Amino acid sequence: MREQPLNNETLHPVLGELPEFQPSADLWPRIAAAHAKRARTPRPYRWLGAAAAAAAVVVAAVVYVPRTHTEAVVEGQSESQKLEREWQSLSPAAARPAAGLARLHMIDAALQSAYDRGAQADELKPLWKQRNDALRGLILTVQTDTVTRI
Amino acid sequence: MDACASIYRRYGTACFNLALRILGERAAAEDVVQEVFLKMINTLPGFRGEAPFGVWLKRMTANATIDTLRAGQRFADEDPEALFASMASRAVDADARVDAWSLLMRLPPRARAVLVLHELEGYTHKELSELFGQSESYSKSILARALKKLGDADQPVKDEGALAACASNL
Repeated sequence: MREQPLNNETLHPVLGELPEFQPSADLWPRIAAAHAKRARTPRPYRWLGAAAAAAAVVVAAVVYVPRTHTEAVVEGQSESQKLEREWQSLSPAAARPAAGLARLHMIDAALQSAYDRGAQADELKPLWKQRNDALRGLILTVQTDTVTRI
Repeated sequence: MDACASIYRRYGTACFNLALRILGERAAAEDVVQEVFLKMINTLPGFRGEAPFGVWLKRMTANATIDTLRAGQRFADEDPEALFASMASRAVDADARVDAWSLLMRLPPRARAVLVLHELEGYTHKELSELFGQSESYSKSILARALKKLGDADQPVKDEGALAACASNL
């Protein structure tokens, strides 16, 4: 039993206690085998679908990229990738602070949602900044924690 | 396929846990992950590389998980009241400390989906309403009831009358 009743405020720490399970070791081999099986199955006019997909990507790039890719957003994305690599290399899953991760998930969801509705750079830029700040905070927390334990 | 295997190593466990927390069944969660990664292999060229890749993949996982719930008729109870009615008879061990996983699994699948997606994955009620094909107030109602039920389930059964009632249900 917990001392505090569960509510909006006390729920997050409880959900942070949820265990992380591993999928079966043979799951990826199963996926790869299913993909190989599908790939062997002849599909008429497959080239037509591929051509249409390629054309769609080109159109999306022409229409979408100039509208949203300001320099600041690209910089934010690039910095985010670097920070994420640093974060991934630093922390084993068990040592990751739940509250910081929850914040990162919230920002990620907001970013995805913004991209889904075609948000402009002025909306995306602060979200990427928030994401990078959150990642820096997580990195700092884990580094500080490691130093403290040493 | 090496690149895809690398993506799986990095994101497979997170996608599996998202599906498992909602479905509550290991085999069903693995089926969802398989479906998502097969789809990812085919649609990877369509990923524009703007939003974080892991989020894109988890969105696909959430959608596939909800589709699985629908296919399994586990969305049969649309009415929030009816959705939670089946929980009433589930007794709680007065002495046991109820861990987070057990608490979550006490909820009906749709309530788990709302709770996990809103509280852990950052979905807004507007996004949930689109995902479930319901109004925003619907997911708010489910979330509030889920919290109430979790709070009730996390409390010990104190008085003897309640204990007797509890025992008679076993």
